[in-house]
Amino acid sequence: MQLFRRSLNKLPLALLVGLASLTAAGTAGSWYYFSPKNLQVGYAPKQPIPYSHKLHVDELGLDCRYCHANVERSQEAMIPSTQTCMGCHAVVKSESPKLAALRDSWKSGDPVPWIRVHKLPEHAYFDHSAHLGAGVGCVTCHGRVDQMQVVRLEAPLAMGWCLECHRDPAPRLRPRSELTNMTWKRDATSTVLATATVAPAGVRAPEHCSGCHR
Amino acid sequence: MTSERAPSGQRVFWRSLETKEHPGQPRELGSDVVKQSIDGPGLLRLRRRQFLSLSGAISALAGISCIRRPVEKIMPYSEMPEDVTVGVPSHYASVLTRRGEAIGVVVQSSEGRPTKVEGNADHPASGGGTDLQAQAALLDLYDSERARTPTLKGTAKAGGDLDAALAELAGQLAGSGGAGLHILSEPSLSPTFLRLRTALAAKLPQAVFRTYAPLNDANERAGARLAFGRPLLAQPRWAAAEVIVALDSDFLMTETGSVEAARGFASGRHMASASARAPNRLYVVEPALSVTGANADHRLSLPAQSIASYARALAAALAAHGISLGSALGAALGRAELAGVPTAWIEAVAQDLAAHRGASLLIAGSRQPAAVHALVHALNAALGNLGKTVAPVSPLDAEQPDPFADIAALVRDMAAGSVQTLVILGGNPVLDAPADVQFKEALARVPLSICLSGHRHETGELCTWHVPQAHALESWADQVSRAGTYSVQQPLIAPLFKGRTDALMLAALGADTERDPHLLVKTTAASFGAVDEPSWQRLLQRGVGTSEATRSATGLSLQEAAIAAAIRALPEPAPPRNDALEVVFLADNKLVDGRHANNAWLQELPDPITRITWDNAALIAPSTAQALGVASGDLIRLTLQGASGSPQPRSIEIVAWVQPGQAQGSIGLPLGWGRKRAGKHALGAGFDVYPLRTSQAPHFALGVKLTRLGVRYPLSQTQEHDLMEGRPLALDATLESYRAQPRFGQTSSPDPAASPLWKTRDYSQGPQWGMAIDLNRCVGCNACVIACQAENNIPVVGKEQIARGRTMAWLRIDRYYVGEDADQPEVAFQPVSCQHCEQAPCENVCPVNGTSHSPEGLNDIAYNRCIGTRYCMNNCPYKVRRFNFLNYNLDIPETQKLVYNPDVTLRFRGVVEKCTYCVQRIERSKIAAQREGRALKDGDVRSACQQACPAEAIHFGDLLDERSAVAQARRVDREYALLAEVGTHPRTRFLGKIRNPNPELKG
Repeated sequence: MQLFRRSLNKLPLALLVGLASLTAAGTAGSWYYFSPKNLQVGYAPKQPIPYSHKLHVDELGLDCRYCHANVERSQEAMIPSTQTCMGCHAVVKSESPKLAALRDSWKSGDPVPWIRVHKLPEHAYFDHSAHLGAGVGCVTCHGRVDQMQVVRLEAPLAMGWCLECHRDPAPRLRPRSELTNMTWKRDATSTVLATATVAPAGVRAPEHCSGCHR
Repeated sequence: MTSERAPSGQRVFWRSLETKEHPGQPRELGSDVVKQSIDGPGLLRLRRRQFLSLSGAISALAGISCIRRPVEKIMPYSEMPEDVTVGVPSHYASVLTRRGEAIGVVVQSSEGRPTKVEGNADHPASGGGTDLQAQAALLDLYDSERARTPTLKGTAKAGGDLDAALAELAGQLAGSGGAGLHILSEPSLSPTFLRLRTALAAKLPQAVFRTYAPLNDANERAGARLAFGRPLLAQPRWAAAEVIVALDSDFLMTETGSVEAARGFASGRHMASASARAPNRLYVVEPALSVTGANADHRLSLPAQSIASYARALAAALAAHGISLGSALGAALGRAELAGVPTAWIEAVAQDLAAHRGASLLIAGSRQPAAVHALVHALNAALGNLGKTVAPVSPLDAEQPDPFADIAALVRDMAAGSVQTLVILGGNPVLDAPADVQFKEALARVPLSICLSGHRHETGELCTWHVPQAHALESWADQVSRAGTYSVQQPLIAPLFKGRTDALMLAALGADTERDPHLLVKTTAASFGAVDEPSWQRLLQRGVGTSEATRSATGLSLQEAAIAAAIRALPEPAPPRNDALEVVFLADNKLVDGRHANNAWLQELPDPITRITWDNAALIAPSTAQALGVASGDLIRLTLQGASGSPQPRSIEIVAWVQPGQAQGSIGLPLGWGRKRAGKHALGAGFDVYPLRTSQAPHFALGVKLTRLGVRYPLSQTQEHDLMEGRPLALDATLESYRAQPRFGQTSSPDPAASPLWKTRDYSQGPQWGMAIDLNRCVGCNACVIACQAENNIPVVGKEQIARGRTMAWLRIDRYYVGEDADQPEVAFQPVSCQHCEQAPCENVCPVNGTSHSPEGLNDIAYNRCIGTRYCMNNCPYKVRRFNFLNYNLDIPETQKLVYNPDVTLRFRGVVEKCTYCVQRIERSKIAAQREGRALKDGDVRSACQQACPAEAIHFGDLLDERSAVAQARRVDREYALLAEVGTHPRTRFLGKIRNPNPELKG
């Protein structure tokens, strides 16, 4: 008696092909889905205070640097201190229940525990001031923050994404006067930027390891 | 000394006695040290089942963590402090004290925590440089084992309890006029402390004030008192001295003012080209090979007891050369000879000194008796050096008594029961008071004792109250340098453990009603010119106040008769016998007198001379060791016989170390080790030698018997790894041969026919970083090594790991012995870190491109690419790459984590690391220049080693900038590349050392 039917002869091949395609699908799937582009972009955690950039920037017209005051001087753009917020909110909306956490912080001296949205790995040393000095505008990496009710991660912040720009920075640069302009568009006159230096020493976007890793 | 010199490159270089005696047979790594299998204790102790269950759990958990990032909080300030830019460190001027000297420093503060100490270029005692203890001060500050609360008989108390107790005590004392109160403090350089002490003495006339420190300037003061009738300190002008004779004085390392000395000495050593002015010439006569002795052009090892006789003989020889010391003194000198010392060593030195009147300098070390100091003053005066190469200055606390006599007097009072209250402000007398005064026993008889110290140490734990002392980086004080510069010590951080200052304790005892240390100092500063707020702010900002011109002593007249009498009273040296040896107590190169014992950076730093880490050892001359049958690593017992007035012989057990250059019949004993109550790093490290130190012979003792115990003791050295196998590395030449052949360093060059190892790069665009290390300026102090450790978050690995060859130091200072005579070697130092080869052999063996070249010429490492094959380490001809065998940053106490430089990644297990040329500083400076819209200029980027170097031996900068210091240094004819023939084209270059021997003194 025949234990295995003849049709089963193709089973090993079918299994092999099946396994191979499963592996390929798995690899491709994780390659795409487990990438920063998919996992990180879109991160928009609920913050302790429902602060709206749209309200403050778009509607009220505050410049980014009013709060992120260090951005041109330091590696850290700086999350504003409670004091900065209270500069207005001691008077404006001083009783709003949404701002209770802010007032608590001001009274107690404890910080407001904001949740970090834009996070780089610890071994990457990003410097805001270097990028602004070279003529990279806020919107280039952070997206249209002025349209965000809740801050949302717009770019993958992965090394490949960084290098895209570092390998060819010129098209992303803008005049220093337009750094915080969310709607500035490069026009015919601005093509001159591609050749003229924005920073006096020239823009030298590092592509070597120690440019970012120390 | 060495015999006739062969041309450079053919001289004998040897790294240790083992390699000298068995050439070609490098000692097996760790043969004398703990032999343990690789999976021995401390690595992994798990049963199979535990291992399986753990690994199962780990793999189950491993998947979870990647799915969603951990939520991270940002904590902004609530109220923004003024002058803080988050992410940009700020710098504050302050001052650190060091054994009779105050070194001006500039401390970097990263978001409120001090992270790096640098020298203050405006401060004369620093000149921008620091010593290794100043570099390591950060780790002292963040020592998690410092006392955290006041304790009463071992029970923790609140600060308020202490305040109440002190207030009650102050009340009682005010009533009794201070009867029964004795205050013991260390010699102080602080005007505030002295002001409060005077105020307290006025309020409590019955109170007794005592001063003690195991290492002090008593001999120096007494010598000046003999010579000039008042206590003065010699303030040498090192750069002006063309001939220097150091009598048992380690002025470059362990003596007072070593930073200033190193700077001045190095500038007197400098040669910009072969035709430049000759460098200074240094003669050193000393019992133990010190860092200064290692820099000598001529070094004579003599037992400490014979130094005085040598000084007499030298003075007598000088008289024959027309340097008259006057009749009274001349008659006391005796003959210009000394048994066992070649006549040339007296005649030729005297001739050299006589030929350099007004440009020579004699200096005696603090170990030598007052008569030697007095004679040295007389000789300097007779040679016309006073005011030219040396200027005596009056010390801040001119009334300070002899500390050895003072502590003995205190103990007599304690034993007699007349001490009701003993307040100990700093110091550790139970450990370091002379053994014969028996401080510990007497302390038990004091009803109330209060001890102020950082750790609850040997003294602190025996006192009724122990009070945590604030570290210098967290408290207000003021300090006056030896030469008289006033500086304010301003805190960088609030006291971590609510420590108090000594001045505050005096105030609490009734000296002042003010309890704010800031205001206590500010009040004093008013008498130093800071009369209003703007001048006070200026003083804080610059870190340097007024220099007191009044401090330099004028109108000096020699008291010849007194000096003559003192010289006559000097004992004749006893002929060395192997059953009656001399022991010399040495200030330790790293721990000084033991106060830095719990500093892991200093513990792990190899001693500049012995290269031993985590231990001290009894240093024995090779010939003496052979005669006694002692080898390095043998445990021995040293017994001090017949100490007068002591019925029982004193003895210690210690490991022996055969040390080339040690005087025959003399044993060197570094102080400050073998601490029992200083913390976990100090515990078990080294051997306590204080029990041999008596008040009759606190500097060197005679009649010591050595017994072998027949037991071996493991020592961890960094000597035996990184062996460069006898090739000419640390090149040197005599002045004569340098002038004949200026390019003596160019002994080899890469084979021009050899094809490059790696694709040739374009280095025409600036900046191109490079370094030049001038071996002629390097004194071998090792400050750069600790600076590198602090700047680059380099972990400490411990004694056992060092024994396995796993040192992590990015920068090492190799020490080579030169010459044939093991008892009188010459020494060559060579700092070696990554050479940043343009054709880097490490790069083309990395399988993952973890190490690669930057367009600016840096040899980069991306830690996250490294998979730990260690091929790069194997292929590095300079052996400068380090591998994290374990996670050395594990189990670091929270307090100590504050020391980390936020600009440098902490490396994990399995990753290779090495010198980066301080790339974080390069990037910071480049970004700052871009921000300010200017080009980088020379001096913008200073590597940590360069900045710390007191001798300015290291130049760093852009090679394409013709005018940069590094480019200029590399055009000097002595320039050479290490192992040039390998063809690596290193970016770090060395400038060969020039020795300036006296042609009259050969053999």
